[in-house]
Amino acid sequence: MLLTQRSLALGQQYSSLGSQPILCGSIPGLVPKQLRFCRNYIEIMPSVAEGVKLGIQECQHQFRGRRWNCTTIEDNLAIFGPVLDKATRESAFVHAIASAGVAFAVTRSCAEGTSTMCGCDSHHKGPPGEGWKWGGCSEDAEFGVLVSREFADARENRPDARSAMNRHNNEAGRTTILDHMHLRCKCHGLSGSCEVKTCWWAQPDFRTLGDFLKDKYDSASEMVVEKHRESRGWVETLRAKYAFFKHPTERDLVYYESSPNFCEPNPETGSFGTRDRVCNVSSHGIEGCDLLCCGRGHNTRTEKRKEKCHCIFHWCCYVSCQECVRVYDVHTCK
Amino acid sequence: MAGAIIENMSTKKLVIVGVILLLFQVFSFLVGGLIAPSPTTAVHYLATKCVDVRKHHQKSKWFMPWGPNQCEKIRDFDEAMVKMIEANDIVFAVHIPLPNKEMSPWFQFMLVILQFDIAFKVVNQIEDGAVVTVDVGLAYRDDSVSEWTEMAHSIEQRKLNCNFTTSKTYENEGRYYECDLLPFMEVGSVAHKYYLLNIRLPVSERKRINVGIGEIKDIRLVEIHQNGGFTKVWFAMKTFLTPSILIIMVWYWRRITLMTRPPVLLEKVIFALGISMTFINIPVEWFSVGFNWTWMLLFGDIRQGIFYAMLLSFWIIFCGEHLMDQMERNRFAVYWKQVGPIVFGSFCLFIFDMCERGVQLTNPFYSIWASDVGTELAMAFIIVAGICACLYFLFLCFMVFQVFRNISGKRTSLPAMSKARRLHYEGLIFRFKFLMLVTLACAAMTVIFFIISQVNEGHWHWGEHTVQVNSAFFTGIYGMWNLYVFAIMFLYAPSHKRYGDEQSTGDLGVNSGEDIQLTTTITHVDGPTEIYKMTGKEAQE
Repeated sequence: MLLTQRSLALGQQYSSLGSQPILCGSIPGLVPKQLRFCRNYIEIMPSVAEGVKLGIQECQHQFRGRRWNCTTIEDNLAIFGPVLDKATRESAFVHAIASAGVAFAVTRSCAEGTSTMCGCDSHHKGPPGEGWKWGGCSEDAEFGVLVSREFADARENRPDARSAMNRHNNEAGRTTILDHMHLRCKCHGLSGSCEVKTCWWAQPDFRTLGDFLKDKYDSASEMVVEKHRESRGWVETLRAKYAFFKHPTERDLVYYESSPNFCEPNPETGSFGTRDRVCNVSSHGIEGCDLLCCGRGHNTRTEKRKEKCHCIFHWCCYVSCQECVRVYDVHTCK
Repeated sequence: MAGAIIENMSTKKLVIVGVILLLFQVFSFLVGGLIAPSPTTAVHYLATKCVDVRKHHQKSKWFMPWGPNQCEKIRDFDEAMVKMIEANDIVFAVHIPLPNKEMSPWFQFMLVILQFDIAFKVVNQIEDGAVVTVDVGLAYRDDSVSEWTEMAHSIEQRKLNCNFTTSKTYENEGRYYECDLLPFMEVGSVAHKYYLLNIRLPVSERKRINVGIGEIKDIRLVEIHQNGGFTKVWFAMKTFLTPSILIIMVWYWRRITLMTRPPVLLEKVIFALGISMTFINIPVEWFSVGFNWTWMLLFGDIRQGIFYAMLLSFWIIFCGEHLMDQMERNRFAVYWKQVGPIVFGSFCLFIFDMCERGVQLTNPFYSIWASDVGTELAMAFIIVAGICACLYFLFLCFMVFQVFRNISGKRTSLPAMSKARRLHYEGLIFRFKFLMLVTLACAAMTVIFFIISQVNEGHWHWGEHTVQVNSAFFTGIYGMWNLYVFAIMFLYAPSHKRYGDEQSTGDLGVNSGEDIQLTTTITHVDGPTEIYKMTGKEAQE
């Protein structure tokens, strides 16, 4: 029912497939527009899936110590469970990071040359190759953002509040990428002087985007739903709930339903509860035992772990380590 | 016969010439801004990680990142770790250009920048002064089915200059270092359609090769070339400008030889300026479309260097010849002190260029900045050239100051002079001020446009139209200096008119009996020969 849930399902399904050909019809939960898109852009579908996966990984990294830690359920079409059914901050974040992930991964795969569709030839007229020879083409991130917009927003075309919210948050994720592109330049004029200088926009590290969107999650704006009567029927739009706060910009995340506290398991809200979650006894923050365990207290046990230590690394693929045994105190929530 | 054309031309004619030149100037800006695309293009590449599955590396094999016959790939190095693939068996493959495109000789040059994506890991950090050793091969082919032909192969070292902006804790593992861009490759001609780069990072514990370079996640390349459209516009401009300057040069030299006296220094210098301008203009680059001349880039640098050196020398000599003191100049040797720094500075830059682009003719992966000694040497050359430039500008400023001081000195004594002498000095002052003004305007334009092109993102949108500011800068400034040289040769050519013949400028009319030779340079007039000349006797130098 939501883009992210379905396309996340796609991410799960195809992360293992790698570069094998994708059959669009076999992906569950695509709306007709997405199906059409998939058939037209079959080459970049693996990167779309890769992007969603990247988004989930980043979500799990950003929320690793929180009560809701971006848990995914395997073997389920809606891999986040019912959490995303509600229009909460969490849904807002997941949508934003997933749509940013798609744009990011598509841009990356274009640079790798895996797709012939990237770049200007696909949407410029004239014989192929001529435009490139005359004026070159460096699309940077535009194509990735375009793909993300086409694909992710394809199902958010209903006139209800939830669609409006998803569209807004998807766009916020993509805007984050464009905002964080940094300009790199190279001088190559006479004797390497800056008489001739060429600049290009480089994609940021995805972690930077995750950090930024996490900040946006913390400062997300609460909205209220307004109903208007228009020619095509009732249309729901969003308005900032608190007029004295700054109005959310297109870079801000928006939501209109409050999140559950995620303390106790609740299949309705999709909360898994924090029982048996590892907590940090010395911290007073959200990952500390007090807050994470919702005041239920924690158990402590001692664990002996065999670990690799004194490792010597080579840049790739080879690590020579010794094995050490260390003793840990592990705290888990009651 | 006296003075230059500029003095004897009526204001009306001067304005007409000025307007025509200005029109050409505007035209040259518009050509770049509206017709040409941006001068260069940068294309990103992400290296594909191929696995060399062969047991023995006896024969060199080329790995394609995509298309038919593509290599066996791995997504990341965790996968390699699981599959027990050795570092020496991993090949980073980059095909230039991207699929469905091809390179063209119109691209003129191709330079590639290397960038490593290195993730921070507490236990595997980048050591101080870490050096990456890359084993790199470059191959080409001209159709998409034939075998790859090796073009260059080299083992290069690049110093990793990375910093990690956040704190080095476990929390921040997985974040990327911010690394400097590394110069990687430079090819002076793009004669083939497809290029393939295969990069390996061999590891040798014993030789300490590629140890302590952190966790490299990816290799990124940025390839920069000149846009074909810009090349075409540029060539067209050169082809048009060459005959224009050549014609005015011939005309100028004919005027000088028509005179009964031998040419003076300033006239020779102006002619030399014309020659150096023509040297830049001659569109020998047309050959680069048909021939694989990799030295064209270096040759272009040399031509530009010669012109700049000539232009700077011209300014010094022009100032010197207008000093209006009682010294006899008109000899090149007098200016050794001022021209010396120019020659020496240019020579330093030439040596530097030979060390960089010269060596790149044989090894396109060479970079003088890669080694410590090279960096110091390069810096030394550049600093010496910088000092020479400062020295030169000090000299120039001092000379201009001297001229202005002498002008104001002469001003007061002008009314007391005889008409011929007064006209002579007035002509000198006018000529000097005119050139001074034009030169300053040209220099200011160059600087302003340079700054605009540096801070600006490269193009402006005006409704439907896109104005390529960078291209406009190149064509406009190039056209401007051409017009500058053209105007100097035209306006400072010796005039055939006599002061007395001039009807339109009545105030200049003098007694025809005062048939005096006042050469374009003043120096001869002053001093003991003065009275001799004033008596009307022939005083040809």
